[in-house]
Amino acid sequence: MTETRKPVGMELHHAIVSHYSAEVRMLQNQQYREWFDTVIAEDIHYWMPVYEQRFARDRRPDPTPGDAAIYNDDYAELQQRVDRLLTGQVWMEDPPSRIRYFVTNVEAFEIAPFEFEVFSNVLVHRNRRQSEVYVHTLGREDKLRKTDSGFKVFSRKLNIDARVVQDKNLYFFV
Amino acid sequence: MNGSAALVDNANASQSRRVFWDQDVYQLELERIFSRCWLMLGHDSLVPKPGDFITTYMAEDRVILSRQPDGSLKAFINSCTHRGNQICHADSGSAKAFVCNYHGWVFGQDGSLVDVPMEERCYHSDLDKSKLGLAPIRVETYKGFIFGCHDPEAPSLEDYLGDFCWYLDTIWDGPDGGLELLGPPLKSTLACNWKVPTENFVGDGYHVGWTHAAALQMIGGELAGLSGNRADMPFDDLGLQFTMRHGHGFGLIDNAATAIHVKRDGYVKYLEETRGGIREKFGPERERLYVGHWNTSIFPNCSFLYGTNTFKIWHPRGPHEIEVWTYTMVPKNADTETKRSIQREAIRSFGTAGTLESDDGENMSSATYNNNGIITRKGRMNSSMGKDREGPHPVYPGIVGVSFIGETSYRGFYRFWQEMLDAPDWAAIRANDDTWDAMWTNRNFWPERLSAKQAEPQD
Repeated sequence: MTETRKPVGMELHHAIVSHYSAEVRMLQNQQYREWFDTVIAEDIHYWMPVYEQRFARDRRPDPTPGDAAIYNDDYAELQQRVDRLLTGQVWMEDPPSRIRYFVTNVEAFEIAPFEFEVFSNVLVHRNRRQSEVYVHTLGREDKLRKTDSGFKVFSRKLNIDARVVQDKNLYFFV
Repeated sequence: MNGSAALVDNANASQSRRVFWDQDVYQLELERIFSRCWLMLGHDSLVPKPGDFITTYMAEDRVILSRQPDGSLKAFINSCTHRGNQICHADSGSAKAFVCNYHGWVFGQDGSLVDVPMEERCYHSDLDKSKLGLAPIRVETYKGFIFGCHDPEAPSLEDYLGDFCWYLDTIWDGPDGGLELLGPPLKSTLACNWKVPTENFVGDGYHVGWTHAAALQMIGGELAGLSGNRADMPFDDLGLQFTMRHGHGFGLIDNAATAIHVKRDGYVKYLEETRGGIREKFGPERERLYVGHWNTSIFPNCSFLYGTNTFKIWHPRGPHEIEVWTYTMVPKNADTETKRSIQREAIRSFGTAGTLESDDGENMSSATYNNNGIITRKGRMNSSMGKDREGPHPVYPGIVGVSFIGETSYRGFYRFWQEMLDAPDWAAIRANDDTWDAMWTNRNFWPERLSAKQAEPQD
């Protein structure tokens, strides 16, 4: 990709990276409600499309939010996922699994006043039930809004690097 | 293999734990079930035009399904007849021909070998291309759903579905064109035996309230009362369970078709507008089915939830792993917005990150892997719920159980599973056609129950 846009300056870049570190820390500590209230904007579209494996010559368009997607959530739907985890009745998370995130390759661009497009790579390591280990890498395309209460994400597109997901579920937040 | 009677005990409604674990049981399943039964390949909607193809699996065999210029379908093994390479690596597309990456052999849309690079110079007219087409697979469709079968002696697809057609017609034929599948499929691996999700879908209404307690509480709606098994419900009057000659079966929850969907206005409206057509076409008994929720498996490894409309193929990967493929069933003639909304809700609940699916995967792995312990594996599993509260019904074909919470269709699934493993060929299976349901001895259960109901004073 040839990028003619200029990335944000050092101070903003640092603020965004720090924001991601704080976000990850909340998720690692199972502070799902705090995570949701702190970083999610009310106009969020949280999206993980399904990319088929197609021939290079195939002219069919890329998936849209109208197509099959592993996540395709608005604010209320994402909130329901958080609520479910906090019911105390999700047996698969009791005892809780461990999850660790590594966010790298952060590139941020200003797209409007106080709005930023941010690309990053995410590596997720899950350990469940003694010895089960699952590792995922994802490309993440965020749109962040800078507000009085910090950055809020209003668009998050997750490209998981697997046609066949190597995990029993993807019920975790990235 | 001897001793499969010990694997399934129909009289006492139990199975050996080896059915989920043993490699030799799995090998026998590949030979006697997956090589002889009709397996789900897809739906007309996935390959609408000539030249369209999808790649899929029949158990662990890679398969190409291809729409022919005359509109018919062909399926063949996705492996070059020269040195065995996989020919097509794309999930789907449109192709005039399939070219092997290794030496460039070219196979037509019908699987025939049409071109070999430098044929004259290398083979000197010695190569009989007509004998080197891709291995063909029997293909038949029922109401647009496409199945493949390797066994020339197997019955027709319609006979294989058998009594189940009477039920399937309600939704697959529907009021005006039935259902189609929306892809592309979500795909994921799950460390479990293929029968664990199949038996769960065929007949497990029991786990819904407990396994999915959190999700049901969050979703609310008709099934919220099941959450945590808190509600005191008269289960006997809330649905039915069914099992068929060839192991297909389902559980019905009355008036709950769309219960798992949160945003459902379009689909509810569609069902309300079309149920009258169903009553007219199929009668009130099947209108009841049309507005109910079905948890279903088609023997051996295809499952769906009608109403929720998730549609699964559990491709086995050895005895302890499967690849889960998830499509969505939608009414063919619903508007685009309704179809998209059904797909969103179906995936939201039963996709790879589904609010209910993720509960199930955990159980399915656990039910499989616990049997790696040698002492554990010597134990048995119990499927006796509702054992004498089932039998032939004056209206509904097959064997009918009294409640949607019961294990009638578990018993029917494993009955046929054992029959397939024991039978040397389809002739031996056909020989049981008149006696297959002899294990259900309570023949008067339904006549007596229904006449007792009629005798009750009406409110």
